[in-house]
Amino acid sequence: MKQIHFICLLLLFASCKNTEKSVTKITAKNIVIDSTIVASSKIENFIAPYKEKLIGEMESVLTYTANDLTKENIGLQSTLGNLMADLCVDIANPMFKEKTNASIDFALFNSGGLRASIDAGNVTTENAFKLMPFDNELVVVELTSAKVVALIKYFIDKQSAHPLSENINLLIKDDCFDLKINGEKFNKNKTYNVLTSDYLQTGGDGMDFFKNPKKLTNLNYKVRDAVIGYFKKTDTLRVSIDNRVKIQ
Amino acid sequence: MKRRNFVKLGGASVLAVVGGFTLPSFIAQQKRHITILHTNDTHSHIEPFKENDSRNPNRGGVARRATLIEQIRQENKNTLLLDAGDIFQGTPYFNYFGGELEFKLMSLLKYDVATIGNHDFDNSIECLYTQLPNAKFDFVSANYDFKNTVLDTHIKPYKIMIKDDIKIGIFGLGIELEGLVSKNMYKETGYLNPVEITQDITHQLKNVEKCDLIICLSHLGYNYKRNPNKISDLSLAKITKNIDLIIGGHTHTFLPKPTIVKNIDGKNTLVNQVGAYGLNLGRIDFYFDEQNNKTSKGTTILV
Repeated sequence: MKQIHFICLLLLFASCKNTEKSVTKITAKNIVIDSTIVASSKIENFIAPYKEKLIGEMESVLTYTANDLTKENIGLQSTLGNLMADLCVDIANPMFKEKTNASIDFALFNSGGLRASIDAGNVTTENAFKLMPFDNELVVVELTSAKVVALIKYFIDKQSAHPLSENINLLIKDDCFDLKINGEKFNKNKTYNVLTSDYLQTGGDGMDFFKNPKKLTNLNYKVRDAVIGYFKKTDTLRVSIDNRVKIQ
Repeated sequence: MKRRNFVKLGGASVLAVVGGFTLPSFIAQQKRHITILHTNDTHSHIEPFKENDSRNPNRGGVARRATLIEQIRQENKNTLLLDAGDIFQGTPYFNYFGGELEFKLMSLLKYDVATIGNHDFDNSIECLYTQLPNAKFDFVSANYDFKNTVLDTHIKPYKIMIKDDIKIGIFGLGIELEGLVSKNMYKETGYLNPVEITQDITHQLKNVEKCDLIICLSHLGYNYKRNPNKISDLSLAKITKNIDLIIGGHTHTFLPKPTIVKNIDGKNTLVNQVGAYGLNLGRIDFYFDEQNNKTSKGTTILV
């Protein structure tokens, strides 16, 4: 009997070494961080020099515009939309040519993606970030003529000034339309290379005609970088409402 | 199993015998308390949102988070601070400083462990690598295979931390990068099946390392209702075992409280996620009793 007790005692000691520590209670809460919490001055001081540098960068003037550039829908065009679509073609076309030896036929983006207007005067890096805070990338899709028709029908149907590039001449008459692309009559036997963003290509804003294209080329270049690049190389932005869309 | 049964059977006689000796201190029940704090998808949000922000006016901010964390650490020094990825991308701080400030601030806040989100590859895997010296905390990822990349040997599948004699195993899981990140950004990073990896790692942490607490830092996403076959934190919790807590990210899910999921053994696994942008801090407190008879008491979960 004594011997058994001894063994048991040893076992107890041995088990103490690896005692099971079991969870008996768990509490949880997700705590809101708001202005009721005093900011750590140590951390604020650490951020300060970065913040100053960033403000400097954001304030740097890239270009100039004589007029306000806005999303205001003027016969399915807008000054900001025209600028966006045209500058993206300007920046993306050389990249696309280098990759594929082909040219971009036109561009379509969504007006919802233009996140801020640009006021007349100096245009800064901050304007570019506010206009395009998302990190969408430029892509080119090769579309069948049937999908281009679907695209134009979508454009007319939505009655939004979705940014279309100047490559397009679209005449809208009641339920019909007449379409020219780069001065040539729309050709049902052709495919077209359309520039857009990866967000829209994957079905954003219901632009389903961009899904499953004949060919997809990702330029791995952010829309915002195209905006900044164009602003940097352009002394004065010249934007107008033109003939790309005409409603009769 | 056999050994534990035997100890249990002998329990009564043991107590009778040791009664005459000076009781070693460990016989008294030890109560221990571990606090887990966590963030996810902070996305370079250094400053609070502006007061006129339409969605999150005057919310968030790293300097406020620092104060809150410090207060909690003073309450309980046995606190761990974790992040579930997507530290990068979302404000010009990232575009201009490449993640340097994010990592330096997390180091000042004394983060212990983080995992890697898809956006952490946004400036390329090389840029992530060059920022690593600014991170005075460890990254864990078990299902990204970095052996043919610059990150080889720099990211461990799991890390073990001991706080107040509690052994805590923390492993990381990442989302499939193909389709989310350009291949020329993540390069030759391989993707391994997160479920199989979890089965291996939890076995290792539970049975080999004998961890008391197992935490998964996941960037898989909370739940995909429209795509139930896509692995998520909820589905992972259901089909695996031995995970006490999954801290999630990616889907920017603002959970009011952790979700309790029954795992494959019928035991509880907590899944938590605190949205994005440093708007919230997750806090989970684990209270431990040291006892030989583990099954005699259940766990009370107050969430």
